[in-house]
Amino acid sequence: MGLIDHIRNLLKGLGIAGKHLGRHAITIQYPEERMEMPERSRGIVVLLSDKETGELNCTACELCMRACPTAAIKIVTHRDENKKKHLDVFEVDNGLCCFCGLCEEACNFSALKMATKYEFSTLGADELVWDVNKLQEVGRDVDYVDTRKKKKPKPEPKADAKPTAPKPEKTDAKPKPEQPATVSEPVNPAGSSTEEKVNEEPLPEEQERKEEKKEGGPTDGSV
Amino acid sequence: MAELRTEEFQVNMGPHHPSTHGVCRLVLTMDGEKVVAVEPVIGYLHRAIEKICENRTYPQCSPMMDRFEYVTAMSSDYVYALAVEKLAQLEVPERAEYLRVIMLELNRIASHLIFWGVTAMDIGAYTPFLYGLREREDIIDLFEMTCGQRLTYNYIRIGGVSRDIPKEFEPKCRAFIKKLRGKFSDYEGLLNENPIWLARTKGIGVLTPETAISYGASGPVLRASGIDYDLRRDDPYSIYDKFDFAIPTQKTGDCYDRFIQRLDEMKESLKIIEQALDGLPEGEIKAKVKPKFKPPEGEVYSRIESARGEMGAYVRSDGTTKPVRVKLRGSSYNHLALVPEICTDVLIADLVAIFATLDIIMPEVDR
Repeated sequence: MGLIDHIRNLLKGLGIAGKHLGRHAITIQYPEERMEMPERSRGIVVLLSDKETGELNCTACELCMRACPTAAIKIVTHRDENKKKHLDVFEVDNGLCCFCGLCEEACNFSALKMATKYEFSTLGADELVWDVNKLQEVGRDVDYVDTRKKKKPKPEPKADAKPTAPKPEKTDAKPKPEQPATVSEPVNPAGSSTEEKVNEEPLPEEQERKEEKKEGGPTDGSV
Repeated sequence: MAELRTEEFQVNMGPHHPSTHGVCRLVLTMDGEKVVAVEPVIGYLHRAIEKICENRTYPQCSPMMDRFEYVTAMSSDYVYALAVEKLAQLEVPERAEYLRVIMLELNRIASHLIFWGVTAMDIGAYTPFLYGLREREDIIDLFEMTCGQRLTYNYIRIGGVSRDIPKEFEPKCRAFIKKLRGKFSDYEGLLNENPIWLARTKGIGVLTPETAISYGASGPVLRASGIDYDLRRDDPYSIYDKFDFAIPTQKTGDCYDRFIQRLDEMKESLKIIEQALDGLPEGEIKAKVKPKFKPPEGEVYSRIESARGEMGAYVRSDGTTKPVRVKLRGSSYNHLALVPEICTDVLIADLVAIFATLDIIMPEVDR
């Protein structure tokens, strides 16, 4: 290749770059402009509320906690005299969350969603742990398809049907055996045995539940 | 007058050198400008993914795989899912297989676009980096539209895929294929005949076929050395045997060939995606997997052709919900071992070119 070829080939590349000179910029100037996130975008975990009553859809079934691979979700529940479960603590540590979406898929009650929101920077790591109020508040304006609605008419004729939503008038409903039956605590990220932690009087299903916990949740927090 | 003599000295390149694509330290023994010996020091990006998997259930391991090789996270998702499916002898629905192939090939193109841009930037041409990442953005948007994430997809699951593609996916994907086909003339015109580029890459870092085989090289690195070997054709997995595509190869195995090899492969991947979109059947997207998934006792190794070469996953099960052992094979590890072999008596600038065209990424090495 002679010198003329060299120069021609150099100019060829320059010409291709030159074609883009007049093109308008594609950069989006955050935070003045924001991208519109796709509907399925997996962002912050939020708790959803009933569209009419405004109460949480969560039934404290702990399926999301067991699905979470990084133990970012912490749930503490207690049972009242009718053995109905109530939510005491629901915390999501956004610092541990890996945004995999397994909790959303595990949820059967349209209670939890990965919203398209993505801004949660704070000054300290402690503030990344969001409690139930914060999660509910952030999730208020999140639109969702309520998959419980189809199931809702069913339980009404039967008093002992499986509860699908936390409804105050249904306090006499008996929980089914597949509902978690212990005063349960979150999977301990520190890696200690889960067996010691169940301190309340054990119910018949307890043994089974413990087995499942041991196998189910992650037992160490090193991610 | 005393005779002039030279003395060898050591220089650390990295761990945070931008051209090491992650965190890799290269201990260089230099004689003036010449590199006499290279010793890669690895472990700066170690995240113990294999160990973490031993404490997770089978479905919970899937998000960890995204972090194994995050430039083509679809491949690493897939290789793990394939291993577990083999172990549990799961039948995957046909539509899921088609969707997987579409995503895998799109991800291969995305990875090669990054390679194209980053290699050019390492060697000194900045423009391709911007163009490559601009086109990659379209692919990432397609992924985000389908699975909700841009990098750690967690899309390919045990038994199928997590979600079906949305309606607007197919037209957008076809538009992208058309757009990228039109861009290739630009890509080739920018660098392929540029005299500076040729001087920097031709005849540099020649990898002979014998060396490539003895070091276990695979993928584009192996094919650039002239060996016609591709797992998609030679050990077909998924539904790759249904598609008609060529396996491009080069002759000399220098930096230039490895660079051209990836451009050629992108064109073939586009063909596969088009055929898969044409033949996409209706139906289920995921086989039924029990919530407490327990594959039978046994061990299995699965391997696929990722954008970088052979990617493998070894999974051993003892019949419980958690794997006893998950071992991942990344081709970058073997390619990093090639660096001391072919980087003798080269300049530092050539070392950067060799490192870049081997397309080594450190998460795959350290795991």
